[in-house]
Amino acid sequence: MSFGLLTGLLCGALLGFVMQRGRFCLTGGFRDMYIAKDNHMFYALLIAIAVQSVGVYTLISLGVFEFTTGTISLLAVIAGSFIFGIGIIFAGGCATGTWYRAGEGLVGSWMALAGYMLVAAMMRTGPLAPIDTELKSYEVGNNSMAATFGVSPWVLIAILVAIVAFIVYRELKKPKVKIPSLKPKKTGVAHILFEKRWNPFVTATLIGLIATLAWPLSVATGRMGGLGITTPSANILQFLVTGDISFVNWGVFLVLGVFLGSMFAAKMSGEFRFRMPDVKTGLNSFSGGLMMGFGASLAGGCSIGNGLVMTAMMTWSGWISLVFMILGTWTASYFVFVRPRKKAQAARSETVTA
Amino acid sequence: MQKKLEVMGMVCPFPLVEAKQAIEEINTGDELVVEFDCTQGTESIPRWAAEAGHEVTNFEQVGEAAWTITIKKN
Repeated sequence: MSFGLLTGLLCGALLGFVMQRGRFCLTGGFRDMYIAKDNHMFYALLIAIAVQSVGVYTLISLGVFEFTTGTISLLAVIAGSFIFGIGIIFAGGCATGTWYRAGEGLVGSWMALAGYMLVAAMMRTGPLAPIDTELKSYEVGNNSMAATFGVSPWVLIAILVAIVAFIVYRELKKPKVKIPSLKPKKTGVAHILFEKRWNPFVTATLIGLIATLAWPLSVATGRMGGLGITTPSANILQFLVTGDISFVNWGVFLVLGVFLGSMFAAKMSGEFRFRMPDVKTGLNSFSGGLMMGFGASLAGGCSIGNGLVMTAMMTWSGWISLVFMILGTWTASYFVFVRPRKKAQAARSETVTA
Repeated sequence: MQKKLEVMGMVCPFPLVEAKQAIEEINTGDELVVEFDCTQGTESIPRWAAEAGHEVTNFEQVGEAAWTITIKKN
């Protein structure tokens, strides 16, 4: 244990704070692309990826640390991400989303976290570990997109930045719909931090900066990586049941920080309250958590580890994972939101004609 | 005329899904009052109302993690 680990707590707290105040919900974002034909949260994610990509590769170019993309196990990434996508719809939030909602006092998110941590730990040092190893042994290939195309990563980053700049320009040019906001009760900094609606693109930029900051802070403690949620979540449980202190690393402090940062933000904004879900929502949350733990472990990352970080690192696993995660959320959304609504509408029109 | 939609305890996106359905069942010019406690709804519900062209006549926080929004159907 060293002082450096505490930077994890700080980084996590910043992330939890920004996500809570900015309502940064990737599950909702992926779901709304399908059920509401609304892409704004997906665009926000792309902004966060681009900011982090430029930031981290600048640090790498300056020699602050080294990064190797490693290999990709195609089958595990595709299957794992798809299952993770289904899980987050049932759980009502992705891994980070579940951590920060737990900080808002949602007991349903605690249930999701319990399932998520349990299966994530089982996939590492438990009875599911052989399945995890087996599935990861197929179709292993080079994970660097830059190496595949034989170009510098900066070429890919430039393309991404150009695409994101075009999207932002197009979105900002759209005629603005004034979104009604709450009557302000606070003033000055308190209003901005604890009351005002944050623009999703501003939130995304802040998240990209925090994700960049995470790299040097984490590497300084000997943990080669940026933001990550799944392994640290599993590590907490592994530490609690084995007492082995080596499971307590920078990532563990990071996820605890997300919880505390979000709780602080929610408390200060009058948005913290213990909320108990009904039985159906509770069961959905827990089973969603189980699927999240299985999927994210298999895919080697959740919507943050793969969707935000490995994408920014220009790896195949990041982008392929993002695609299949989104397809997973759409599949689950059809069964959870779209089909029940169609059935209800059909039932209503029947009663009208009858 | 006002119709009240009490969706306290529902997690997102259900408050929004319910609100979209409820507004279809009221007449133009009538108001829908949605009471909810899902934090993300403070972003998604007014955004939807504005983009769908309805008018928000009231939107306030009524307690710890509790909000009410009144949407006039246009």
